[in-house]
Amino acid sequence: MRRRLRIPDLGGARAAILHRPHATVTALVRQLQAIGLEVDCHWPDLPASARAADYLFIDVDTAYDDQFPWEPGEAPLPTIALVGSEAPGRIEWLMNFGADAQILKPVGDGGVYSALLIARATFDARVELADEIDALKRRLGQRQTVVQAVAVLAARGKTENEAYEQLRGMAMAWRVSFEDAADRIVAAAKPTHQDESDHG
Amino acid sequence: MTREIDLGILFSRSGTYSLISEAKRTGALKAVAQVNADPALDIVFNPVERDPQGNIDAYAPLCEEILRDSGARHVIGCTTSWSRKEVIPALERMDGALWYPAPYEGFEASDRIVYAHACPNQHLLPLLDYAFAQFGRRSYLTGSNYIWGWEINRLAREIGSRTGGEVLGERYLPLGTTEVARIVDEIAALKPDFVLNQLIGKSQYAFLDAIAELRRSDPFFAEGHCPVLSCNLTECELGAIGPSAEGVISAGPWFRGLHPALPGNGGREDFGSSLEAAAHASVMTLAQLLNGAPGAEALSLSELLAQRRAAELGISPRTHHTRLPVAIAQVRAGAFVPLRTGAPVEADPYLTRERDPAPVPLRVVK
Repeated sequence: MRRRLRIPDLGGARAAILHRPHATVTALVRQLQAIGLEVDCHWPDLPASARAADYLFIDVDTAYDDQFPWEPGEAPLPTIALVGSEAPGRIEWLMNFGADAQILKPVGDGGVYSALLIARATFDARVELADEIDALKRRLGQRQTVVQAVAVLAARGKTENEAYEQLRGMAMAWRVSFEDAADRIVAAAKPTHQDESDHG
Repeated sequence: MTREIDLGILFSRSGTYSLISEAKRTGALKAVAQVNADPALDIVFNPVERDPQGNIDAYAPLCEEILRDSGARHVIGCTTSWSRKEVIPALERMDGALWYPAPYEGFEASDRIVYAHACPNQHLLPLLDYAFAQFGRRSYLTGSNYIWGWEINRLAREIGSRTGGEVLGERYLPLGTTEVARIVDEIAALKPDFVLNQLIGKSQYAFLDAIAELRRSDPFFAEGHCPVLSCNLTECELGAIGPSAEGVISAGPWFRGLHPALPGNGGREDFGSSLEAAAHASVMTLAQLLNGAPGAEALSLSELLAQRRAAELGISPRTHHTRLPVAIAQVRAGAFVPLRTGAPVEADPYLTRERDPAPVPLRVVK
């Protein structure tokens, strides 16, 4: 599928840079300001307030996990890696930490604008994908409930296929997911069983 | 004591867009003559000229040659965005700066370049505002097959879609080709409200000839219905195009007959086009920045532009782009007649100043 790039609103956006004072930072700040962002530079630790930024630039040459107020792989904002050393160990650290775009050092006259666009698009796609995976996992976990609900409906004299179709119809009528409808059926059936056994 | 300062000049004197680059060369040399004749300035410029002859691969080596073989740190030059991108590594390597007096598509802010002509919020956006209000929202987009046309048309599509515009078709031609029949047939069939044309050189001339023919044969296109729009057509190409240019509407910082010309021209108006005026303004601005400041010729471009007088001359130290007036004009009887004019606006090369770029307030020209 051909993706149409959604261009993020960069005017007045905030970028946080975690890098020791250096010509790389100067070049980065110049480009970011020319584009229209506001920039905060941090070293050696990233304060929790950096979570509120819109973009984060990190120095892969010197970075380590404890600098960040979140776990590897859980950056809450689009992250751009500044790569100098291409030693495999550093790249391995970067793969674990996770980044949405990268710029090779030394940072010169360009590269920041495209990195911002790519990082934002990749980050958004990553978040969307994680949400989708969560939803699918939840639905997988509800497989047993679906089987139970079909059994409850089939016990009232329907074939399995008819029971399945009935459940689908209920979900549509209630405007809930298939799995949530199954949940309701099973929940409604449980007290009835309870009552029967109490009075049996 | 008068300082003699080498000044690089890098314009193609032949090739498909030579009319455009000659106009800029003329403006630059006019300014050099003016500076050298001005006893109030303590500098004279010594032009160091190279001619890439329209060959894209000649720009970087010739730019490097100027910076290596002469004392020049500043070069006035380039026409296409492609050539501008080509010379940036040479500028970085040799610690040089480029003054670029041509309209371009934005999304760049090199530390090594001064952008002395218009970018999209100074040409395309006001032009689209005008076209949507005057002609309708159904457009056809065309251009030469490289970054200028692609990006201008992408922007036109994005801005149009935000305001309910509809792009009926979009087609590109290789640089230099004159095979325009397919595009013109498509326009004849689709009947858009206007055509946004970013064709360059001979392709544009052939296209305008074919559209003029269409206007004679198809009543829908008669009497200027479905006008052709441009973000870079100036007076310097009207002679080559001839009567087929009639009715074309173009946006730019200045057209002949408007007063004054560009802010950097210091009141002078004897230019053939805004390209000539922007090249003149570039050299004059550089002269102002170097005048009375011995050693300033050795400063980096960003140091030079950090001086307060650079901002006063209209160059943003943040983006290196120039504050420019906006005009929309139509070719009538062989000359551009202004339709709308607007006060100078800051360049917004990344279009980040406003999410929905506010229309430049334009004045109807009576």
